[in-house]
Amino acid sequence: MCSRLVALALVFAGFAGPTASPPQIRFEEIAAKVGLRFELRNAAAGQFHQIELTGGGVAVLDYNNDGCTDIFFTNGAAIPSLRKTGPEYHNRLFRNNCDMTFTDVTEEAGLAGEGYSMAAAIGDFDNDGFTDIFLTGVKRNTLYRNLGNGRFADITAKAGVDGTDPKFGKMWSVSAGWLDYDNDGWLDLFISNYVVWDPAKEPRCGTPEQQFYCHPNVYQGLPDQLFHNNHDGTFTDVSQSSGISRHIGKGMGVAFADVDGDGLISIFVANDSVRSFLFRNQGNGTFKEAGLEAGVALREDGYAIAGMGADFRDFDNDGKPDLVVSGMINDSFLLFHNLGGGHGFDDYSQRTGLLMATRQLTGWSLGMYDFDNDGWKDIFFALSHLVELGRYMGRDSALANRVFRNVEGKRFDDVSAAAGAGFQQSGMHRGAAFADFDNDGRIDAVVSVVNGPAKLFHNITASKSHWLAIKLQGRRSNRQGLGATVRVHLPDGRDLYNQATTSVGYASSSEALVRFGLGPNPLAEKIEIRWPGRGVQQLTNVPADRITEVIEEVKP
Amino acid sequence: MTPLVLILLAAAPTSPGYPAYQKANTLFVEQKFNESFAAIEEALRLDPKLVPALTLKAKLAMAVNRFDVARQSLLQALAIDPTAEYAQFLYGMEAFLTNDTEQAMLRFRKARQLNPSDAHAALYLGLTTESLGQTEEALSLYQEAVRLEQAAGKPKAETLLPGARLLLLLGRLDECERWIHQALKLSPNLRDTHFEFARLLLQKGDAAKAAEEGEMALRLSGGTVTDVQIHYLLIRAWQKNGSPKRAAEHAETVRALETAVQK
Repeated sequence: MCSRLVALALVFAGFAGPTASPPQIRFEEIAAKVGLRFELRNAAAGQFHQIELTGGGVAVLDYNNDGCTDIFFTNGAAIPSLRKTGPEYHNRLFRNNCDMTFTDVTEEAGLAGEGYSMAAAIGDFDNDGFTDIFLTGVKRNTLYRNLGNGRFADITAKAGVDGTDPKFGKMWSVSAGWLDYDNDGWLDLFISNYVVWDPAKEPRCGTPEQQFYCHPNVYQGLPDQLFHNNHDGTFTDVSQSSGISRHIGKGMGVAFADVDGDGLISIFVANDSVRSFLFRNQGNGTFKEAGLEAGVALREDGYAIAGMGADFRDFDNDGKPDLVVSGMINDSFLLFHNLGGGHGFDDYSQRTGLLMATRQLTGWSLGMYDFDNDGWKDIFFALSHLVELGRYMGRDSALANRVFRNVEGKRFDDVSAAAGAGFQQSGMHRGAAFADFDNDGRIDAVVSVVNGPAKLFHNITASKSHWLAIKLQGRRSNRQGLGATVRVHLPDGRDLYNQATTSVGYASSSEALVRFGLGPNPLAEKIEIRWPGRGVQQLTNVPADRITEVIEEVKP
Repeated sequence: MTPLVLILLAAAPTSPGYPAYQKANTLFVEQKFNESFAAIEEALRLDPKLVPALTLKAKLAMAVNRFDVARQSLLQALAIDPTAEYAQFLYGMEAFLTNDTEQAMLRFRKARQLNPSDAHAALYLGLTTESLGQTEEALSLYQEAVRLEQAAGKPKAETLLPGARLLLLLGRLDECERWIHQALKLSPNLRDTHFEFARLLLQKGDAAKAAEEGEMALRLSGGTVTDVQIHYLLIRAWQKNGSPKRAAEHAETVRALETAVQK
């Protein structure tokens, strides 16, 4: 009773009521200042190789479990050898020194890598409490096991995840992500593959005088892949038996969510210039591709956009994960509203203002996070047109990123112009990952830049809103609780929803913490966690402005 | 009568290349492109400065995606006669079709200066403007294109559709409906118009009528809207209309079409 009264007192003390104008979302670009010096090299040398356009994945992870989020960048390689012929092509791991400075620890971690890398997917696949790294690349995928001593070991061959397809051989993989599709408590691996590509057979496009990158329709598409975790450090390729590889696409970003509330994780793949896939989990080890029926395969007019990044998040707090997808100029970025109950999605791009506001943009990675902690998730897009497209458009290919503020789940307002001077700087942005690097409760963003210095957007939004981050620790479920959904009930009567996933955006991996902006509420009255195995756990009166660790209750 | 035919009539018949050019044009209309190209080459051998022949050569080249050849021919034509309005319009089309929107804008603007009553130039300048994000300017150009066609006594449904599409995107549903009704009146059997009407109806929440219009669009041929676009609309329309079975049939048809393409 006493604690209840204290909680109520806190509620009323902190309840300022609605303000006339919301705090402006603001970022300070601090990469150089904090020692985050990385340049993504795509090795472009006037030959217009298709692989130069992609890549640039960024991942965030706490590899040494010190409570401070570290950063990993993927990098290119020489073409056509696809070898990292010098340190300029090395992938890079930067340790967060817990004082908002970073140290390059690539060499000691053993993560310089090999090949033309694309994406990084973070997950603790062996449930040992140390997050591991899976890298996709052009004809080379790599699984690094975190040894727990600051070093990583390449266990790709032993684990059986090098990605060789029986028909297509080694493929060009773009994104990957970890999910527990069969709820057995172990993370499985999904890989999106792009197109058949051979440097020796690169088609020539454009005009005789002016070569340009070919449209993806010039290349043959590829199937995606799914690997089942055997619980012993090895995986079984179940792409065929699960039905995943039956579908040929041109896979870019991947996102996972329990879209219809049945406790099973489904998979969305944003395809480039062909329709996107929604692999609905049937609960028996198989998936049914249902993008068309679910209304997420194409734009509202039936046009296949050049799908890039994707994120499943509940933008209107109705308890169902919605879906945002980025695309190319004149595609518009798409926002699909989940109707629930297995009824699929409605295209909300137009009615939320995103359609026209993003029509002139080309987006790569993205993330739907509550940057101002007002309880409504906003959207950050990493942007740039295809290199040299500017010549055709009469404007620069480099773009400034954009942030859209979620106005009570009804519309998205572009608030980029006031998001800080550093935010206005254009660049060839690609990957983006999201985490709170200084643990101040405001979500930051790290962005890779093609042939330019990476950027770290430190969130300096002057908001008095409260926040809460939940760090899940599965016992029966996978160690990170990926796939868990969390409902937070606030004293002001609102319910907020989010889910645990690292698979966010394009070729990138974000923090596994489940975050909530609480607005003026200094506590969460009730928190309900639905673990991937369907166990439900509740907490009450959880104070705000901290990371709350929750260990899965396992009832006998 | 197309602008090209008008140019043909206006061309100087005294040119030694003119008969060959006339033959080339007839073959082009009959879609005998190889034969037409040979005749054009003959016409230009006899008179390298025959502007209509250079213009037709560009048109032929664009039909087979040889935009480099088209550009060269049009530059020659415009160097000989800078007031050649159709050559100027095609020069804009060359940029438009190769996604060079900045050049397309300049060239279509010039085409409009050369012939302010050319509805095509207004329409394509509108499309270019829209692709650059200038929606209000695009809308007024679409209106202008419609007005010019009406003034010439030849209004076309196809000219109304870009404006209707843009109005739909902007959420101006009542205006969109007016444009679509005009288009339906002009061409009751145009697939694209029925498709746009179905989209509008679906957005307005009339799934039953949307399904009806969509099915009608599917039965009609021609136009630029693909079968896949219509099937996708029908999946959603039938779902909202309480007929998941009909929706599933359309989804399966799309998958069958995809499989055929992949093979």
